[in-house]
Amino acid sequence: MAAQAPAATQARARPRAGREPWLDWMVLPTLVVMAVVVGYPIVYTILLSVEDYNLLDFSPANFIGADNYTKLFSDPIFWQSLRNTAVYTFGSVGISALLGLALALLMENLGGARFRAIRALLLTPWAVPFVVVAFLFRYMYLQNGGVINALLLSSGLASAPVPWLNSASLALPAVMVANIWAMAPFFFLLLSAALSAIPNEVIESARVDRAGTWGMIWHIKLPFLRNPLLISSLLMVISNFNDFAKIWAMTQGGPGYSTSTLVVYVYRLAFENFEFGYASAIGVIWLMMLMVFAWFYMRALRMERR
Amino acid sequence: MFRFDKRRLRFAAAISAATLAVGMVGTADAQDKVTITFANWASAEGTTRSSIEKVIANFEAANPGIDVVSESISFSEIARQLVLRARSGNPPDVAQLAGNDTVLVGSTGSLEPLDGYISKELAANLKPGADAGLRNKDGALFAFPWNQSPAGFWYNKDIMQKAGLDPNKPPRTIEELNAALAAVKSSQPGVIPLGMDTTNRAFALSSNWPWMQAFGALPVGEGATGAESAEMKAYLTWMRASAQAGYIDPGRKIGEFRPLAAQGNVAFHWDQVLLKGVMQGANGMSNDDFYKTWGVTTLPTAGGKATTFEGGHQLVMFANSKHKEAAWKFIEYLATSPDAIANYTTSVNSSLPSIKTTGNAELDASLDTPVFKAFSEEIIPTLAPQPYGPEFAAAATAIMAGVQEAVTGSQPIDASAASIQQQLPK
Repeated sequence: MAAQAPAATQARARPRAGREPWLDWMVLPTLVVMAVVVGYPIVYTILLSVEDYNLLDFSPANFIGADNYTKLFSDPIFWQSLRNTAVYTFGSVGISALLGLALALLMENLGGARFRAIRALLLTPWAVPFVVVAFLFRYMYLQNGGVINALLLSSGLASAPVPWLNSASLALPAVMVANIWAMAPFFFLLLSAALSAIPNEVIESARVDRAGTWGMIWHIKLPFLRNPLLISSLLMVISNFNDFAKIWAMTQGGPGYSTSTLVVYVYRLAFENFEFGYASAIGVIWLMMLMVFAWFYMRALRMERR
Repeated sequence: MFRFDKRRLRFAAAISAATLAVGMVGTADAQDKVTITFANWASAEGTTRSSIEKVIANFEAANPGIDVVSESISFSEIARQLVLRARSGNPPDVAQLAGNDTVLVGSTGSLEPLDGYISKELAANLKPGADAGLRNKDGALFAFPWNQSPAGFWYNKDIMQKAGLDPNKPPRTIEELNAALAAVKSSQPGVIPLGMDTTNRAFALSSNWPWMQAFGALPVGEGATGAESAEMKAYLTWMRASAQAGYIDPGRKIGEFRPLAAQGNVAFHWDQVLLKGVMQGANGMSNDDFYKTWGVTTLPTAGGKATTFEGGHQLVMFANSKHKEAAWKFIEYLATSPDAIANYTTSVNSSLPSIKTTGNAELDASLDTPVFKAFSEEIIPTLAPQPYGPEFAAAATAIMAGVQEAVTGSQPIDASAASIQQQLPK
């Protein structure tokens, strides 16, 4: 009798599980909100991307099919902006992740009040608002009166002021330095937490096996850090892909188009030239690229759970 | 326990009735009052905020039936916000605009034509050419000139003297300017020899347009010779040479030179008449000292002609306004009343009124200063309209990006000019 009871429960549970609806009604309010806040703008952007829609022209927009998309392929500014976006995003994230990792490994075993203060200091740039970071670096980079040039000139390292933000070849790396300064603490924080989560038994057994510092980092710690590093990097790639404030405040995409990223180009097209149709076409391409990154991110999250 | 006795009830009823009556009177008053909205950047900027608020308060005191709600929007944002608001059907009643933004917003067709509101007396009192570029293709006036603020070529006499130059002989040609810039650079390395805006925005193109014309270049607009003309290349070559020699400081907005100029760290500066007010606000210099230190004249030229651009502000009324008469009253007050001219236009905004006489002899006499006279007699006659409109905004991005490439890059000037030409609206 007692053995029959759980079997009966299972028999009752199975059909209920089979009847489980694919859509839970409790999720509906969230879906409605998402449809309004996310779905509608996306659908409207796709619709705008196939129209010749200029905000200054109050007459109805014309349907032009894929013209905006074909125009995009022959637009050198679009390609330059895409290239700049890739360099800015992957360059900043890659270097920040390495810096964050190095700092986390260096600070890992350092305790005491002094090192706690240094740790807090290292995290400060992450707390500074992006626009403040941008203006801070903009003024430090100034060709005339900037502190960096003043130091370089007074120490004799440069004979003339370096045009950090006024040189087509230096501007993008200079903006990236500001971005890396602000982003590296994020990786430091995250990787420090991941390092402290490595089980002590693993570290102890590696020590018993006489693993050296590099061996310990390479064979023990880095494998544990792989997933947090991947997830945080993907998150930062998505965030940097959309970074507008720093670039706009520092260079407005210039000089020329040397620091113009997709977000800056779309802003100029939409809100300076009011070409919403063409700007939307770029927005759609941009969205598709972000969705690829988002897919990788979701996959990485699933891997982490397993 | 609280008890409702008759006396208390009577007292409460009397109080309620009185309150109701006062409320009704208040409501009736509010119904009689008209509220207009005024989108502007004057109240968004520290130097002009208190003055414009004072002028608005004075207007409200003089017109008890009108309330003005001032909406602060930054200069660089106002056109964008007004276009979006006009598009979505909720524009303000009145707005402050300038330069290409005025024509841009005018091109949407959402502005009220103003000819019908202007009296004969006011039309006769407007300065000649004050409405240039403010009429649409049908000849209707879509914006009223609030004030005039053209750009002039400012020169610091002290710096010129230290550089061994004659402080009373500002350069008249680009050749003379080059020699003066070299003298300043070698004698005072900490001084920026020439302040000019090289950012990538429509205002920067407006500001650089007269420099292009000084070389005879006309990249867009009627009779344009394009970006690949010999004149345009001469302008780009001169800009590059100036940057490489350290004469100009690329990437700065015009406003970023002003505090430096106020500190005596800019020798020559291409800026509007308002520079005087901004500099005096920053360094507290007296009028006498200012006139001793700074002079202003027309732009040096190289084969082309000396021109300038109108950086003054305009007032527009939106066709959607439900209180057009009140809106016009406010526009007229801001542009022509002695109160607004004395407390805002000629003081903190340091610009010229768009009318010939203010009707106030003392105020008219106060305009007789060396700076205002130089602008009125020497510089304003060189005002040249620019091909403002939606295409100018698109061209601005292309041209100024090309100028930046030429100034900061190393590719041949021909390539920079070709790049501009390729990006210009077809």
